[in-house]
Amino acid sequence: MLNLTKKILLAFLASIIFSIGVSKTVSAKTVEIIMAAPDWPPTRFMQEYFNSSFPQEGDTEIKLTLDFIPWDNFYTNVAASLTSGEQKYSMIVSDSQWLGAFIEGGYFQKLNKYIDADPELQAIFDDMHQGYKEGYTTYPYKSENYYGFPQFPDNYVNFYRTDIFCNPDENAAFRAKYGKKLPCTYADWEIVVWDDIFDINEFLTRKKGEMMAGKPLEDDMFGVTYQAGKAYDFSSMQINGFFWQFGGDIWREDQQPDAQAIGVVNSDINVEALTKYLDLLATMHPSHKTGGMGIFEMQALYLEGKIASMINWVGLGAPVVDPNLSKVNDITGYARQPGTMQDDGTISRWANLGGQPFVLTTWMTDEEIEASFKIIKWWLSYDVQIEAVKAGGQSCMKSIIYSDGYNALAPWNAAYVASMDWQKDVWHIPEFFELLTQQQEEFDKAITGQQDARTTLDNIAEFQQELLEEVDRIQ
Amino acid sequence: MKRSTGFLAWFMDPKRRGPMLIAPAITVLLLVNIIPLMWSFGLSFFKYRANTLKLPKFSWFYSYEKVLTKDNIWESLQTTAIIVAGSVGMQMVLGFLLALLFASQFPLRKILLMFVLAPMMLSNVAVAIYFKLFYEPEFGLLSQFVQSFITGEMYVLLSTPAGALIGVIFADAWQWTPFVMLLVLAGLVSVPKHLYEAAEIDRMSWWRKFTTITFPYVRSLLLLAVLFRTIETVKIFDLVFILTNGGPGTATETIGVLVYRTAFQFFRTSNSAAMGYILLFAVIVLTSLYLYVIKQRESEEI
Repeated sequence: MLNLTKKILLAFLASIIFSIGVSKTVSAKTVEIIMAAPDWPPTRFMQEYFNSSFPQEGDTEIKLTLDFIPWDNFYTNVAASLTSGEQKYSMIVSDSQWLGAFIEGGYFQKLNKYIDADPELQAIFDDMHQGYKEGYTTYPYKSENYYGFPQFPDNYVNFYRTDIFCNPDENAAFRAKYGKKLPCTYADWEIVVWDDIFDINEFLTRKKGEMMAGKPLEDDMFGVTYQAGKAYDFSSMQINGFFWQFGGDIWREDQQPDAQAIGVVNSDINVEALTKYLDLLATMHPSHKTGGMGIFEMQALYLEGKIASMINWVGLGAPVVDPNLSKVNDITGYARQPGTMQDDGTISRWANLGGQPFVLTTWMTDEEIEASFKIIKWWLSYDVQIEAVKAGGQSCMKSIIYSDGYNALAPWNAAYVASMDWQKDVWHIPEFFELLTQQQEEFDKAITGQQDARTTLDNIAEFQQELLEEVDRIQ
Repeated sequence: MKRSTGFLAWFMDPKRRGPMLIAPAITVLLLVNIIPLMWSFGLSFFKYRANTLKLPKFSWFYSYEKVLTKDNIWESLQTTAIIVAGSVGMQMVLGFLLALLFASQFPLRKILLMFVLAPMMLSNVAVAIYFKLFYEPEFGLLSQFVQSFITGEMYVLLSTPAGALIGVIFADAWQWTPFVMLLVLAGLVSVPKHLYEAAEIDRMSWWRKFTTITFPYVRSLLLLAVLFRTIETVKIFDLVFILTNGGPGTATETIGVLVYRTAFQFFRTSNSAAMGYILLFAVIVLTSLYLYVIKQRESEEI
């Protein structure tokens, strides 16, 4: 007969074995999706909202874990992970220009067969805004090979201080000096072109202690500011828009192998456009001289009230209205970014597409693929998209952006939606990062005053021509 | 006593005990060092990009030719040389002066020594971020100082190639001067006191004492410091990458930054391997030069 001590020990052992068995059963029914994501509000919201609201169905629990990576190092971290073969990520929030590099590397999964077989996914695809669908999902660019779904669509808007731009005294002084109105409302900004920014910046650049909008300034103040950073794509995105607005172009990958870089990239029109960008920059906050006016640096200046306006991604809007982070949370207006006046009197507003799709990697199991599509369908469902927009995100689903009340969901929505038809994307080819980095370095030399626009674009065109010929993209 | 037989006896045989004991270390060295090194050396003779599915294609010296005929490697080597000369030079002078100071006794010496040594204990990334904030035009201490006491305008040090180079050199020298000081201090405290006493009796000048007693004792340590710091500074990466990102333009793009970009941003794997071996070659040449100089001096002294 067993004594009491032995009985207790046996019972204890049995309970341990039972609990291990139970936990094994639970973990066997959990599918975890690890997603590489840039660290910023739209992805943070996705994680939080998934944790609180994702409807778990059936026996299998789906767990989504976003691995947040700072923007500056996002590409290199993801690239290092993929090429090292660690197979850490099942899904990746990918910038659209990475598609070619990672598809050619065999890391991103083609989705056509899944979309063709699933009416729900087809409906999502049909509902996507055409320009965003091309940018976020296709490789080669504008082909019918699909690789992604929109995680966070984005474009530029103009964030501006209403307490300054709408101040009656400032308006009167501006009108007296320049003979025109200081833009205050969304409608006022609709007719503002880049040339007007020279006057606005001259008028709003003031020293600490001088009066502005009836108060003495606590710091030096500057007018409108845009991107001029050396890191990642923090000048190319703004400058590409200038090229397109002026009627110029970047090297056209959808027209290879005939499209040339020399003669296009360094065309007279592009030189004129880059000169305008640089001339305007000289009227802005001097931080750009370090090559450090990236999207976050500019946002920090705006939140501290040190610049009167910034042209930045909608994705950075949420902190602007957060009273815990922003001194200007209740005195900010939103408009489209200025454009370039055309000969026919219309204003061209071409800009570089922002935002990111999420993609599936090629080593996922069938179970993980199934779970990923559930996440994608959940994220792109009407209610979740609306919640994301309310939290500072955006949507590119036509049924949502053109629905009644959409513009009222967030203060920048009107500017965002109005800008959607004016987006083009940068290259998707595998060599994009080399093209981008060299271009960023050359732009940085121009931004920091080391060379003029002509030399800059000649250097870029020559480099691109040589590289693209080497990889047989130009004949 | 029973003798152990079989595998244990074979293993414990004094003839092979030594090799067996170091075998694990050699295995680890081979796996994590030698084989990857050989692998990358081999890759430098192929055409290969790590981000594509294409197999490596043997191409003899194509990568070396490609790398050496591009302007950017020569520009980055020049930039590296400027940073090495500026930073190591500054470290030697300041390190020596600080060592002279701390070789003598004065109040709070130990506490001050602790503060002076602190920078070399910090991680490179922390130093880079500290100086990035220090040079920041809006709120950085440097800009605030210039604005408040000199020009009344924000000061943007990193906006010009010369300013950015100075910024990098100063930050690197700030971090590593204590290392040089420590080495020189070790030499200074080892100088026998009776030599100075004899020099006092002979009424030698300060300069004469320095050139005939102090300097000969620290010369070899100083050369060691030059060697260590030169090799380390030739490889400089994290400080530059964080502080200036190689800019403005490519003004502070050192060879380390260029190799990183080529390998992990452009994925020109073969080219980056070739660059890495060119860099290794440069470091070996520098080391050999140092050893040659040391040997020459030793033979002269004998």
